[in-house]
Amino acid sequence: MMNLSRSVALISLFLLPLLSFSFSVDNPTDRRVLVLLDDLSLKSSHSIFFTTLKSRGFDLDFKLADDSKLALQRYGQYLYDGLIVFAPSTERFGGSLDSKSIADFVDSGRDLILSADTSASDLIRGIALECGVDFDEDSSAMVIDHSSFSVSDGDHTLIAADDLVKSDAILGKTKIEAPVLFRGVAHSLNPTNNLVLKVLSASPSAYSANPSSKLSSPPQLTGSAISLVSVMQARNNARVVISGSLQLFSDRLFRSGVQKAGSPNKYEKSGNEQFATELSKWVFHERGHLKAGSLVHHRVGETDEPAIYRIKDDLEFSVEILEWSGKSWEPYVADDVQVQFYMMSPYVLKTLSTDKKGMFHTSFKVPDVYGVFQFKVEYGKLGYTTLSLSKQIPVRPYRHNEYERFIPTAYPYYGACFTTMAGFFVFSFVYLYHK
Amino acid sequence: MVKSTSKDAQDLFRSLHSAYSATPTNLKIIDLYVVFAVFTALIQVAYMALVGSFPFNSFLSGVLSCVGTAVLAVCLRIQVNKENKEFKHKTVVTNLRGIVAMFVIAV
Repeated sequence: MMNLSRSVALISLFLLPLLSFSFSVDNPTDRRVLVLLDDLSLKSSHSIFFTTLKSRGFDLDFKLADDSKLALQRYGQYLYDGLIVFAPSTERFGGSLDSKSIADFVDSGRDLILSADTSASDLIRGIALECGVDFDEDSSAMVIDHSSFSVSDGDHTLIAADDLVKSDAILGKTKIEAPVLFRGVAHSLNPTNNLVLKVLSASPSAYSANPSSKLSSPPQLTGSAISLVSVMQARNNARVVISGSLQLFSDRLFRSGVQKAGSPNKYEKSGNEQFATELSKWVFHERGHLKAGSLVHHRVGETDEPAIYRIKDDLEFSVEILEWSGKSWEPYVADDVQVQFYMMSPYVLKTLSTDKKGMFHTSFKVPDVYGVFQFKVEYGKLGYTTLSLSKQIPVRPYRHNEYERFIPTAYPYYGACFTTMAGFFVFSFVYLYHK
Repeated sequence: MVKSTSKDAQDLFRSLHSAYSATPTNLKIIDLYVVFAVFTALIQVAYMALVGSFPFNSFLSGVLSCVGTAVLAVCLRIQVNKENKEFKHKTVVTNLRGIVAMFVIAV
């Protein structure tokens, strides 16, 4: 009996550090990442990308896409926090993986990097479709651009793209100077879907077609509707990057110089490495991840939260928002966080001011309407996690003894009553005692 | 025709005036009181039309107290009027009873 309990204690001691090796609410950066490859040579041809990931502390687990022992979860627990699928030509995953299990993986809040290449199998297309991204139906089509290609390329399929999304959260504070080299397939996004976003778009002169055959009809996907790399941030804040080119992440394109056709600028190093690194920082929650403390509100001059407000009360509201810096929680600084005092529609909408230490506060007067209101903070900035907080509070009208004792507008009526009384008094005397 | 109608109006007014002067003084006092009460009520209605009905309760209390006392004064006049054949009471008692009733109710 002693031995059994001791061995159980030892095993749980070993398991404990394993449990802390996953992402959690306090430490949102992913830790263990499964990398699925369809060819083990990708480990060496994309070594720079993987080494940068490892140097940032990620635990990469390389597996072949048709490895029969593949599993994302065991006994209901997820084994990995992130998934990189660099297997564009795989028709079927091995083990217990399929497009539904990957969709469940993202639904559980975990992150995904998915890449197609010059050919994308139906499996990869299906996973991308789950995330809101439509690859070109023509399986032999690639992105061709006759005015934005890299001059080192012969058939205009190596695009030098510099139409990046403007977001410090997704792409980092440093501007990516050199164009990003891309060779692969095009995809488009549904414009009504507000969870997906184009990170790298094609120029207006790009189109998607088979480079080795003549065009028989105008291509379906053209211009800036073509997205080269897109991201999706799900409502549970899981992040997905979908790229049309696996070569974008390769060492060859990381190291090569780039000169865009028609532009005199020649860059020693393409923007690929910076682009891929910054994007991986965003997708694995090293940047742009916000956490909010609870909403605090109280009357001006008091510190406790009252259970009910009265109309025309002055109140103060504050909320704490922190941003994850990759290693610790830093105060979040922004000037566009707003609070609504909401009952079916916002009666008060105020922008919160910050003290730069993470506290956002404002004060306003309760409107002249009674009912049950909510303090709502709905924050959905591009590239940041969505914050959706609310707290309910009722508002009552004046009590009968909270009105003014004498209403100035009503003085004539008071006067009329008193003159009537006086008149009655005088009348009764006069009537009784006249001659 | 116009002249005759205005002359008729003047004759009408003069006959009313002479008939009214014949009423006893006590009734005239009551009439004066009634006019005063109704006039006060009308002033309050005009004020409300000007500034709006915000403290509606106050408006109602002012107007209704004036109108109420006017109505009670009219009742008193009916009871006290000697020419009124329906009421046959002794003078002093009538007076006091009427006045007391009106006082209590008005308060």
